[in-house]
Amino acid sequence: MAAPNFQGRHMRQPSKNTLLKVVILGDGGVGKSCLMNRFVSNHFDEHSFHTIGVEFLNKDIEINGEVYTLQIWDTAGQERFKSLRTPFYRGSDICLLTYAVDDRTSFRNLALWRNEFLYYADVKEGMTFPFLVVGNKVDVSSEQREVSCEEARAWCMENGNPPHVETSAKDATNVEQAFSLAVESWAHLEAKLDRPYIGDTVDLRRQQPEQRSSCCLSVGGNTE
Amino acid sequence: MEEDMWRQFYEKVKESESKKEKTEHDIRIQELDGGFFEKFGTLLKEQHAHQETGGMALVCEEEQPENVELELEVPEESGGVGMALQDSDSEPEESDKHEFITDAMGWNIEELYSEVLYEILHIVGCDASAEEERTPLFCYLQETFKLDHEKHNHLLEMARAKEAPNILLNVEIIEAKDLKPKDANGLSDPFCTLFLTSSVAHRYNTSVKQETLSPVWEEHFSLPVENPADDVLCVEVWDFDPAETVREKMMKIGAVKGVKGLRKLMKEIAVTASTGKHDNELVGSATLPLKNIPASGQTLWCSLEKKGKSKKQGDVKIRLSFSSEKNSHVASQEHRHLLRLMLLHELENSKVEPYQWDGKFSQSAEIILTQHLVQCGLSKVAVTLAKWIEFASVHVDHPLSFIIFSILLQKLVKPLQKGFVTEEEEKLFWEAAKKILPSCFNGIRKIRKLTHSDKSTLHQLSGILSILSQLSTLHPPEGTDLFPPSIYGWLTVNEDEPNCDIRATLYDAVTQGAEDWFSHILENNKTTDSPEEAYLNHLIQVTQLVRTDLQRAIEFHDKIFQQSFNFPYAKTLYKVYESKVAELVEPVVTEVCKSLKPLKFNHGAGDGIYDNDRLLMGTTLFELYLIVQRFAVLGTGLCPVDSEIFLSHNFHLWFHAGVAQWLDIALYKALQRIKKAVEIDHLVPVDSSVKYSSSAVDTLAIFYQIKIFWKQLAWPDVEGSYTFVAKIIDDICRCSVFYADQMSEKVEGMGESQNVYEKKFEVTNEWCLAINNIDYVRQSIQAFVGELGMEEIVTSLANFRSQTEADHCQRTLQLVIDNAVDTVGNKILELLEKVAEKMAPAINRFLLEGAELLQQENNCMDRLMKYLDDNLLTLHSHLNTDNFSRILAIIWENLSHTMYELVESNLERKRPPTFFLNLHETLKILVGFFKQGDEKNDTNNPAILEQMEHLLQLYGMETWELIHQYHLERREEQMAMEAATHGLLTVRMQFVEDLLRIEVLNARNLHPMDTNGSCDPYVKIHLLPEEKFTTITKPRTKTHKKTMFPLYDEYFTLHLTSEQQELENGLIMFTVKDQDFLGTNEFLGEAFVAFSDVPKTDMTTGLEQMAQVHLKLSRPTRQDSEVYRALESRHDKLARDFIKKEKPKFLPS
Ligand SMILES: Nc1nc2c(ncn2[C@@H]2O[C@H](COP(=O)(O)OP(=O)(O)OP(=O)(O)O)[C@@H](O)[C@H]2O)c(=O)[nH]1
Ligand SMILES: [Mg+2]
Repeated sequence: MAAPNFQGRHMRQPSKNTLLKVVILGDGGVGKSCLMNRFVSNHFDEHSFHTIGVEFLNKDIEINGEVYTLQIWDTAGQERFKSLRTPFYRGSDICLLTYAVDDRTSFRNLALWRNEFLYYADVKEGMTFPFLVVGNKVDVSSEQREVSCEEARAWCMENGNPPHVETSAKDATNVEQAFSLAVESWAHLEAKLDRPYIGDTVDLRRQQPEQRSSCCLSVGGNTE
Repeated sequence: MEEDMWRQFYEKVKESESKKEKTEHDIRIQELDGGFFEKFGTLLKEQHAHQETGGMALVCEEEQPENVELELEVPEESGGVGMALQDSDSEPEESDKHEFITDAMGWNIEELYSEVLYEILHIVGCDASAEEERTPLFCYLQETFKLDHEKHNHLLEMARAKEAPNILLNVEIIEAKDLKPKDANGLSDPFCTLFLTSSVAHRYNTSVKQETLSPVWEEHFSLPVENPADDVLCVEVWDFDPAETVREKMMKIGAVKGVKGLRKLMKEIAVTASTGKHDNELVGSATLPLKNIPASGQTLWCSLEKKGKSKKQGDVKIRLSFSSEKNSHVASQEHRHLLRLMLLHELENSKVEPYQWDGKFSQSAEIILTQHLVQCGLSKVAVTLAKWIEFASVHVDHPLSFIIFSILLQKLVKPLQKGFVTEEEEKLFWEAAKKILPSCFNGIRKIRKLTHSDKSTLHQLSGILSILSQLSTLHPPEGTDLFPPSIYGWLTVNEDEPNCDIRATLYDAVTQGAEDWFSHILENNKTTDSPEEAYLNHLIQVTQLVRTDLQRAIEFHDKIFQQSFNFPYAKTLYKVYESKVAELVEPVVTEVCKSLKPLKFNHGAGDGIYDNDRLLMGTTLFELYLIVQRFAVLGTGLCPVDSEIFLSHNFHLWFHAGVAQWLDIALYKALQRIKKAVEIDHLVPVDSSVKYSSSAVDTLAIFYQIKIFWKQLAWPDVEGSYTFVAKIIDDICRCSVFYADQMSEKVEGMGESQNVYEKKFEVTNEWCLAINNIDYVRQSIQAFVGELGMEEIVTSLANFRSQTEADHCQRTLQLVIDNAVDTVGNKILELLEKVAEKMAPAINRFLLEGAELLQQENNCMDRLMKYLDDNLLTLHSHLNTDNFSRILAIIWENLSHTMYELVESNLERKRPPTFFLNLHETLKILVGFFKQGDEKNDTNNPAILEQMEHLLQLYGMETWELIHQYHLERREEQMAMEAATHGLLTVRMQFVEDLLRIEVLNARNLHPMDTNGSCDPYVKIHLLPEEKFTTITKPRTKTHKKTMFPLYDEYFTLHLTSEQQELENGLIMFTVKDQDFLGTNEFLGEAFVAFSDVPKTDMTTGLEQMAQVHLKLSRPTRQDSEVYRALESRHDKLARDFIKKEKPKFLPS
């Protein structure tokens, strides 16, 4: 047997990175793919296609000195893709629930998305799952805005209190932050689970997300 | 290379398949889940998987021979062709039989008999010319006509005596009207009797017409006339046996079925006819003196009278003519009667099965028939037509082979089309056709009861179709209703219109047959509605049976339909079945899919958290999907461009939600199997040529099964396919990671040993195999994914959506693959690190132990080298090159860290230079050891290695060397300076022979430290390293007072030995100082020039010709430099003096 060929294939630094599977959910057209692309390749496409089934990208992100590899599954929001996307929920670590601030319906559907996720993700019973609620397209004019930040935060308060953030994939507002926030939220919940850690993982308790009050980066939730 | 690997694997699988025997190993893995994948992949081989308890399904059989399944059903045993065809609706038969019998009742048996006897006596041709050859013919006739000897002899006598008549009266009894009713029901069953008054015993009868007062006979008779002038024709109309209607008589005889019954009736009629003893009642009669008939013939209505009744009893219409020869109508009629009698006799005698009679008469019969047609001068067409008519009549009761009819028809088509037959003949033709057709359509409707593989039944079928096809080229006379609703109750066409559309009827027959079959299947596979899974099994069974029927139709019947009648049989069937299947399956599947719940198994595969019912349901649903798919595929084959066929294009949509579940099930099962595979792996190479063990092969086999599953699924929707492939790849990644984890768990703890002195880890073969196994699996990923048909998916995505989107999807897939490969690759690295980590304590211990002995020098690192040597040898001989160099790098990295720590700690302990010198040697050996022939790959930790080497080099130096090193670095610093912050010194220098000539020209911008801001600078020249120039007095300039820009212009000439001159790193150091007459002189700056930078000239060149060199003056700044620190750490006088002198040069920070 000939020698295998690792060359030419970039190998990620092993084991030091925590792998996290992230799924992005939300109505078709709220800008999920744009968010992911902005985050991964810092690029925005005005005329993006509706996603077929799923898209996948991965990216390393450093938070408090810890490097995480995010395996991001961007799903198709259109209803006809429902049974195509649900198989991808299993085994997720983080879920972004996305709506567009200029689309009320997409906001109203958040609960549906959340339930769909919990139904198919095979989440351990009684576990608080690290959701992040993302209101995209904050760049739109105030006339076009249909969902206020306060309203969104109120919804979060009533629904397990996940953190909330408003973003714009178009002008790159809060996109990095949104993903960081999601990871922090995961780390925070993970720490609460009090799992024994192997190796030199950083003590996550030190990294609880700070409470910021600015609405544009409104971090609700996870206060106990 | 990966392809190679895959192919090899594939061949292995094939090989094992061809052996058709599974190793115990396979079975053990399958036992786990009852051969789940084997079933998943081979569902179709087993029509009813649940019936198979053994579960010895083969790993991956592709297609199964069709005939296996064909034999599986036909729920009703069929009793041969005949029975199947005969099993038709009985009602039409009954009425046909009535007609048959009443028709026969009117026959003039004796007349016919003597006619034939006469023909035999006057035989023509060579068939039976000898007297003795006639005897068997007489016997045959007597038997056929069922006459006793007496009668026979009598008639034979008469025939012998008979002379050819001179003249014949041809009578056609056409019809009657306004007959007086005789029966209780107000109707009659009339027939006519005619005779000449000169020969009253010689009676001729027409057939009996049932229950009518205006019968139509259109029957012909030829009566020999001897005395045309005197004779009178008498026509009597009778009501047949009014005490007992025909129907009643039928009931009596009906108990005796088939030919036998007919024979019985025939006998009775024969007796009745010959004795004249019957209970018939006369309706009325008419008499016609022959002399009143014009020679040219005449058609007339005669009124019927009856003795004692003044009223007219009705009218009868008669055609009359004279001729010298037998009338052809009469001849044909006679021939037909003869044919029928003989056929019945043949059938009875030869006991031939229904549908078997092939049209061949016995020899005697043939002779008689031939004589009859020849002597009557019948045309070929007339004879063929007679056969067609008579055979059809018999066929109603005792079916004959369809082939005969199709052959007869072939001869009739042209004459009929060209109008070579009379209207009357045409009418008879179609009446006969009407008798044949029901059995044709019955045959088609009951086609499933035929033993399909039997040649002869297929032959019959093509006979039927040929009949239909030929008939459909003819146009029946106006008003003909070929398919009366009373007989064709199953027809869907308008009942009131006469219908002659054979093709439409065939379509109906096929459709009805299919529908009946479907209902039959449903009835015979009844099931309770719950549990749902059982109901799904029911659907599977039904669909399977329907598919089988269709398959059989395609295989055996369709071609015949196409060839004989250009009729799309299978396609028609498919359309019926399609809608039936859709109607049956769709709602159930939709319902089931709606109720599907995701499996629960995230937390530890194989721990039985899942719900077995769901698993079962999902599997059964998949089975149903496969069978519906196989059914639909047949349909697509039949109608490739037919948009009407809904099912083929859309059936998968019903199952849409099920696919996710199946993928989950597949994943779950795969994980379970992997777990098992690892469990039973003994971690020995599967054979001597490879370096991986059984679980790696098993895991690939599991992947392969997932692939088979995917291929079977053959999901038609491209967007779905794309997404599911992404999911499968991700699942494969999960499986591989899971496998890697299981593998590393398995080897954990191996190779560790402990004795009183130490705990030690030795790399074992198992560890190496574990690593190889994971790598083997990792390498298979890309190839595996290639087999999922990604390319096709991307291509059709491009067609279906757009190239851009297809590219996008392709990129996503590739990313998912890369992610999978990388993730598993990382797992390998993790394991490699684990190995290195386990080796680390021993390595460190040996290294430290060795270091303790370093000052004694010789071979103190033996233990370390041996440990490394042993373990690396194991690794090297088992791991592939890449993994070996990878682990080498990891060990080296760890080692260099330890080494570095060792250096640092010993620096702190201020070890003498020899210690570091030896350590440096050790390092060099280790470097050599790890970097053997692998220069390009030393990317790992070059910084730490460099640093270490640097340190060891420094600390291994003599003090003077160290000092010189310090100066060399000072020169580097000077070179790197940008601005001359401490002033400039201008000099000229040259080497001439053994002289070094230096001219110090001036200095400027000096930076005195004095508070008064002025200084008295002088320059001193040192040659470095000082150890090499002890012989030389260091020159210095005069001191210039109170200036920051002193002009010296002083020359110095130094004599150097050639060794001194050629010293590699020789330096000239200019030190500028401020002379302080009270205390020590204050340092202002220094500058360095390397010997190598000083030009060498000969004696002819003067110093003044050399270029002026402006040297930037500087002060040392880097008290933290390694060299300086090394010097600081030394305790020898030289070092201490140096530091003492050097320290004040640094500016206070
Ligand atoms: N103004 C504005 N438009 C955005 C922003 N993000 C995305 N869009 C636009 O919204 C449209 C939809 O974006 P996508 O990212 O394709 O939406 P999606 O959520 O992935 O939709 P599906 O794939 O169908 O589920 C595109 O035309 C984007 O240009 C944003 O931050 N601001
Ligand atoms: Mg999208």
